[in-house]
Amino acid sequence: MELMNESQMAPDASQNDDDLFVRLRGGDEQAFVTLYRRREGAIYRFAMHMSGSATAAEDITQEVFLTLLRGDCGYDPKRGTLSGYLFGIARKLVLRNLERSRADVSLEADGDEVALPELAVHENALADLTRREGIETLRRAVLALPRRYREVVILCDLEELDYADAAVVVGCPIGTVRSRMHRARALLLEKLHQDRNPKLEVGPLKPMRCAI
Amino acid sequence: MNCQEFWNTAPQPGAEAEVHLASHLAECPACATKWEHQRALAAGLRLVAEEWRSVEAPARVEAGLTAAFRAQKGFERRPARSSWWMPVLAWASAAAAMVVVSLFLVRGWQPTAEPRVPLAAPQRTGPVTLEFAAQEQDGGAPADMEDDSSGLGNDFIRLPNAARIEPNEDVNLVRVEVPRSTLIALGLTVSEDRTSDSVLADVVLGSDGMARAVRVVDEGGSLE
Repeated sequence: MELMNESQMAPDASQNDDDLFVRLRGGDEQAFVTLYRRREGAIYRFAMHMSGSATAAEDITQEVFLTLLRGDCGYDPKRGTLSGYLFGIARKLVLRNLERSRADVSLEADGDEVALPELAVHENALADLTRREGIETLRRAVLALPRRYREVVILCDLEELDYADAAVVVGCPIGTVRSRMHRARALLLEKLHQDRNPKLEVGPLKPMRCAI
Repeated sequence: MNCQEFWNTAPQPGAEAEVHLASHLAECPACATKWEHQRALAAGLRLVAEEWRSVEAPARVEAGLTAAFRAQKGFERRPARSSWWMPVLAWASAAAAMVVVSLFLVRGWQPTAEPRVPLAAPQRTGPVTLEFAAQEQDGGAPADMEDDSSGLGNDFIRLPNAARIEPNEDVNLVRVEVPRSTLIALGLTVSEDRTSDSVLADVVLGSDGMARAVRVVDEGGSLE
């Protein structure tokens, strides 16, 4: 009986990303599909949370994996994980998309984070987060974060990367990720508190004729 | 440990605080309150993550990428080992191409005056003037796009056995690297000594994600 060599065997779920990458570069379609199915969800969700657009997320996901097919994709296992590499590409594409669409809504302008004032933490901001509307409120609050805080929250809290991996993706020291996370959470708590306690807004006064 | 040191070394809120951090929380009510709020927020974010965990890209993305993968790798799987019938197949293909060329010359070719409507231009352009050795393959549908109502420019070559692009069909255009040897299957003349090189090609993907047509673009000039 002839033994199948390694390149002929179908990839299984236990194969790591780097093995799959080597095989897909050798023309193994099943390896590509396996790798795609393993990683596409996280990339799509990251792009979706960052851009707030399903269409943009779809385009970005496609472009991320097309990059893997290019001869000069630039992935080097010595410099980080394939997952981090894919997130890194997705992040660049998201930023390009945001710059193009100018759709980056934020609580405040992206300025020097050191200059931001310390925010108060409010006690009841999270009281009803277990409810579905609470979850949606929190997601909207994440989407409204300034970009630099939004990306670390999505990477670390929603996609569960550790700080070290997130630092590689964002391209900054781990201490910066830690401080951005700290600030992001404070901003989220503040935003949730504002949503629960909206200030009474009075519209512009108009003269009215009334019979007395 | 002061408050600043605590927050500089604090673990992610989902995790338990280590002993030396816990001792600070025990003696600092402000940090303890803040820590609890952060933990509650982390719990809320975990709920968001769980809610979104099943969200994935639409299936058409995988279909499109798989088609692009196939297009890049030569439209068909490479054989795992060399086979004796490869030279036979090559000669048979050459003979078939000769027959088609003969038919082409005998019957003549009447180019239509259909206006050319190009696709949305990809980032890098520069289509090369190609010599068509044959426009039909394997007795299938004509490989050119002259009778196609899809609105594609006539520098696109319909792939053998590919479905026709409907007039209002939603198509995608992806740019991939294709081995020059692949172009032989499309009826293009490629010099033998450069068959291992790659060339850029725009591949039209139909709404089902399958490759329908291809256009060769090469900034280097001729394929010859």
